[in-house]
Parts: sequence; structure tokens; C-alpha cells
Amino acid sequence: MTCQELQEMFELYALGALEPEERTEIEAHLARGCENCGQALANALALNAGVFSFAPSIKPPGRLKRRLLTSVGVHYPGWGWVWALGAVCLLLVAAWLGVEERSRTYELADARRALLESNGERDRLTQALQFLSDPQTRPASFGRGQTAPPRGYVFLHPQMGVLLIASNLPAAGAGKTYEMWVIPKGGTPQPAGLFQSDGMRALHILSGPVDVGAIGTVAVTIEPAAGSFTPTMPIIIAAPIGS
Amino acid sequence: MLFLKLLPAGLAFAILQVALRLADDANLARRLKAREPKAMNDLYDRYGRLAYSVICRIVRNPSTAEDLVQETFLRVWNRVQSFDAERGALGAWVLTVARNRAIDHLRSVDGRMEAGAIELDHLERPGLFAKLDSAALAMDRVRRLKSAFDKLTPTQRQVIELAYYEGMSQSEMAERLKQPLGTVKTWTRSALKILRDELAEAAIA
Repeated sequence: MTCQELQEMFELYALGALEPEERTEIEAHLARGCENCGQALANALALNAGVFSFAPSIKPPGRLKRRLLTSVGVHYPGWGWVWALGAVCLLLVAAWLGVEERSRTYELADARRALLESNGERDRLTQALQFLSDPQTRPASFGRGQTAPPRGYVFLHPQMGVLLIASNLPAAGAGKTYEMWVIPKGGTPQPAGLFQSDGMRALHILSGPVDVGAIGTVAVTIEPAAGSFTPTMPIIIAAPIGS
Repeated sequence: MLFLKLLPAGLAFAILQVALRLADDANLARRLKAREPKAMNDLYDRYGRLAYSVICRIVRNPSTAEDLVQETFLRVWNRVQSFDAERGALGAWVLTVARNRAIDHLRSVDGRMEAGAIELDHLERPGLFAKLDSAALAMDRVRRLKSAFDKLTPTQRQVIELAYYEGMSQSEMAERLKQPLGTVKTWTRSALKILRDELAEAAIA
């Protein structure tokens, strides 16, 4: 082939797109140091590079540069320290907000609990006042004249139920609670609710209609925290209801 | 620089830009050869996007393209000592290496690897780029080349794309297009002549 014919194939040669025999012929020719063909090959490489650059421009991901520079041992600080600082600040703010939020949540829960307790206490006192002010209420007392027994009153009302007001209660102990019992005349004790004392004083109400005439005794025992269906401990209060 | 004052402002600016970029490329090549740590950073800033775009166009897979860009720049970094910093066209070399890495990958996937790998490696030697016009990637030349490419017939464009972006030989193209080899060679030769002539005119202008 002539130089002219060979030069028409230089672009394909530089792309590695020629058949083996054509490639061999070009390489043999270039090896002889043909000046014109050397320049023509350079022009072909330039044309090829121009065609490569037609590719639609796509931005590479930022990590690629970091990865490349790291692979050749170049330290690449970039903006990493800013992100790191930002991340630390965010963590600190998040932690502070978390603590604040938790503290606020606890405060709110405490306040809600106190309010509920306060409302419950108010309702019980209101109910107790209704007991005391109603003419149908029948009182009974217990513990009078004894050395250091629990003392107090039991009030019975046919519609409102049974009200117990007690003081000087012995400590129930860990995992224990007080349980009131309504014992019918000649019958077995019926559970009438669990309650706790406040500094050895207690107010407990069994709400609902009761057959006042049939009740022989109102008693209190110390039971396990979950309560019992029958009294298992010694009776600490026994208030006999007179007929 | 007096002649620049006689040219229209836009043209003078373009010439200055090209001159500055070429001076930069020669300087950058010297710094790469001196193993300046920041030189690799600058090389990537200048040609990383272009190399990534070429590779993406060929392999059409961003994750593979990242690996191949890394391979391209490592190859340039490892072979830059043989590059002629004063006369070579750094950008054209980087793009050629990028394209060849991507084509090698395609060939390995297609099972066309064996001869191709050695062949392409041989065709991206830094010495080949010593006689290159260092303005090969000047914007106005690329623009004129692209304009000429757009005017090619569909079949001419197709064979150019198969050769440049799929690394096919003319016999492989003939098989793919189900055309006689002679026809494919005619399309390829005529397309390349149009592009070559356009580039020659751009160089004179």
C-alpha cells in the first residue's frame, strides 16, 4: 500500500479496529521511520481524541476523586473536616435536645401523675364528704381503748357503699398492701378493695349499694400486693357493725 | 501580543484561552513527572469529568466507569515519565487511555479480549502523543469536528460509533450490520475523510 492508502487507515489503526494483516503492514511501514506517516498518525490520534470528547458530559461522583488521590498516596482533605465538624456539632445538639426532651417528658409525666393523684384524692374526699353528710349513713368505730391499735371509723350507706377512715395502721411492708373485707353476718369475708396508707393513715371507699343490715363486720388485713380472695393474714382492723 | 489587539475581542479571548491551557498542560505534565502531590489533583480536575463521560458512554454503567477512571489515571500516573511534557498533548493521551480502558472492559465482557488488550496497550504509549498538535482538544476544533460528524449520513455515523465507542473492527461491523465488508469499509473511509478534512481546515484557520 502507498503512504496515502495507509494514512486513510490510521484512525482505525489507533483505535485498534483494523484486521491483523492491515495492522502488521502499518506497523512495518511506521517502523521504517516514514516522517509523513508519523505526522499523519499524530493527526489521526488528535482526530480520535476529538471524537471521544463528543460523549455527553456527565459529572463524576465526588468520591471518585478522593478514591483516586488516596490510591496514589495523595492526602485529600477536601471539605471532609467541615463535614466532620458539622457532624460533631449536630450530634452534640441532638444529644442536648434528647436530654432536654427526655427531662421534659419526665417532668410532664410527673406533673400528669401528680394531677391525676390530686384529682383522685379530691374525688375520694368529695365522696367521703357525701358519705358523712348523708342521713342514711351508719357509722361504726374500731380500736377505741386499745394501746396502740389502728383506730378509725367505718361508715355504711345503702347506695354509696362502705367508707373506711383509719389511722395508726401498722406498716404493710415491701410487696404488701392493705385489703378491706366486708363480712356478712354468719357469712364468709368478701374482698372489698385494696388500698395503701399515707403515713399510717388511710381512707378507702367500697363504692356501690350494700345490704347494710346484713353486714356483721368490716375488717382489714395485710395481703400480698396483688390482693387475696380470702384473708390470709391476721386481721389488723375489725369493726363490728351494730344492728 | 500586539496582534491580539487587532482581532475581534471574542476570537482574541479564545486564542488566549487555548494558549493558557496548553501552557498549563505542559506545566502540569512536568509537575506529574516530578511527582508533585497536587499535580494528580489538578490532572483530575482538568480531565476527570471528560474521562468519566467517555467511559460512561462506552460501558454505560456508572459503577464500572468509576473503576475504569481510576485505572485510567493510575496508568497515566505510572507512565507519565515517558511523556514528552514540552510537545505532547496531555488531554488527548488521557482520553485515549480512558477510551481504551473502557473498550478493553467491553471486549473482556464480550469475550473479545485476547488480542485486543495487547493491541490497545500498544496504541496508547506516551511516545505516540509526542507529535500531536497540543491543541487537539481546543474547543473550537472539537466544535467543528462535531458539526462535521452531525452532517454524516446515518450509516457513516453508525460505523464511526461502532469503531470509536464499541471498539469493533470493520469485519465485526460488517457482521453486526449484516453488510458486505467492502461496503462497511467504504462507509468508514468516507466518514473519516470528511472528519479529517474538517480538522485540517480547522488547523489552517
